[in-house]
Amino acid sequence: MLSTRVGGLELESPLMTGSGTFGHDPLALSFLKEGDLGALVLKTVTPEPRTGNSPARMAEFPGGLLNSIGLENRGLEYWKESVAPLLEEVAVPVVGNAGGHTVEDFVAVSEAFSGMEGIAAVELNLSCPNVDGGLHFSTRADSAAEVVSACRRVLDKPLWVKLSPNVTDTVPLARACEESGADALTVCNTLLGLLVDWKSRKPLLGRGYGGVSGPAVLPIAMRLVHQVSSSVSIPVIASGGASRPEDVLAFLVAGASAVQIGTASFRRPDAISTIAAGMRSLLQKNGLVASDLVGSLKWDGGGEKPREN
Amino acid sequence: MAELAADTRVWTGKVTGKPACGPDTFVLELRLPEAIEPIAAGRFAMLSPAHGEGPVIPRPFSIYEQPDASTVTFLVQVIGPGTQALETVEMGEGVDCTLPLGRGFQDPDPSRELVMIAGGVGSAPFLGYGRQRVAEGAASNTTYFFGARTGDRLYDRSKFENQSFRTVLATDDGSLGFSGSVLDSLVEELDGGRVSREALFCACGPEGLLHAFAALCRERDLEGQISLETYMGCGYGVCNACPVPTRPDGALGHWPWAKSCLEGPVFPLEAVAF
Repeated sequence: MLSTRVGGLELESPLMTGSGTFGHDPLALSFLKEGDLGALVLKTVTPEPRTGNSPARMAEFPGGLLNSIGLENRGLEYWKESVAPLLEEVAVPVVGNAGGHTVEDFVAVSEAFSGMEGIAAVELNLSCPNVDGGLHFSTRADSAAEVVSACRRVLDKPLWVKLSPNVTDTVPLARACEESGADALTVCNTLLGLLVDWKSRKPLLGRGYGGVSGPAVLPIAMRLVHQVSSSVSIPVIASGGASRPEDVLAFLVAGASAVQIGTASFRRPDAISTIAAGMRSLLQKNGLVASDLVGSLKWDGGGEKPREN
Repeated sequence: MAELAADTRVWTGKVTGKPACGPDTFVLELRLPEAIEPIAAGRFAMLSPAHGEGPVIPRPFSIYEQPDASTVTFLVQVIGPGTQALETVEMGEGVDCTLPLGRGFQDPDPSRELVMIAGGVGSAPFLGYGRQRVAEGAASNTTYFFGARTGDRLYDRSKFENQSFRTVLATDDGSLGFSGSVLDSLVEELDGGRVSREALFCACGPEGLLHAFAALCRERDLEGQISLETYMGCGYGVCNACPVPTRPDGALGHWPWAKSCLEGPVFPLEAVAF
């Protein structure tokens, strides 16, 4: 009922973890029931260890979170030794997420992922808002094309690209990634934001700016999923604020083939299973399967009145 | 690599009690759908209202008591949106809880003296810790220092006083017990030889108290452990938002940060730059 096909992978469910929200390794999978998670997307790995940003790294506001972790990770060598062996036992496809400052960084991580049996696909994190350098990969189509083409050449697996919402127009970036060999696009990373404590007159985060996530960003991600999926022919994976079964089904209608769950997993580690159960029940009641909904948005000038108040 | 504890589960507990306990605090009693093992002192739970209201992320609380195999209680001081949301959950309604999480206090040999130091709701892990010592036959070399701003903030103090270990009370306003800070009362006992420098010292409470405690331990060469109230996003090791700086020469020194949720919330002072 939930099965879907995304960027070269057959998935049991359209639900995935969002990179950076379910750990560096598969250890938290024990919270989820079999059949609920389509793919495990891991936290970004960079070639060199990164200690991450100074605390505070997270702050909240009604409706969402602001974070600036700074891609803390122990680097590719550690990851190859300590994490990669754990992945071969994982029952769902595992998606490695690659980060870096230069084309060479992305290629180095992609190359390593390419040879790993436990990795089914690679997602390029072109769009982390919380590190210095490399911003042009997420804001300039020619830079994005360069890095995607270079990674495509070294990868024997599906290649996904995670796009940034922090641009005036995402479509040229999306098209450049498609033309350079991406098999799917993840839309989108967190939105650049700032929270301020008026009394101390300081930002709430140690680094100042951070990435906004959670229910507050849902309509923005929904709009971007619609725009991007209308402009490219490769699948789009939605990421941004989904916390309820209805949010996921709406993302499918707007054009997504799969949906990543991130911030919602912080509140309950089994959020993905709760959402999957809710989706099954809603689909069954309506005599549908998930794939019926993908890209089925009826945009005929009339809006839908809210049914419940 | 710090691993998630094998016994951590996520539940929806039912509120079976929420009696007030002091001016700004209540005891949240949750009935879990299944029986669980006794939880080591100092470990914690992440709680949020099951009705979905309140902040996007849950809040960490030490386990306070386990009255029976499927009931856990928490000492909740209402100070912000997370705790306010928990206060609105009515009797019979659900609270989402992930527990038990993290690592608790070291369990020293019963023959070694143990000194527990709490400020305000920092008392939560010590009822269980103290009872554990009583069960081990170590009540006579266990002392509990319990301090607060005012006497009515020595939450549930009779519960502690009724235990067979010694309890020393301190209040900033002098309304109950020693007049002054809980650390001043500890220093007085150390100086008077009523507490041994060889004891294991464990503290939980406001950050200011913990900093003063850390300074005292360094100054007098005491072995100390602290339970940190780090702001947490998830509580189970996936979000990387609760970093605690480590000491390069300490047990966690292989990486500049420890995750408070997995490697803590209780840390030996020698391991963290605090």
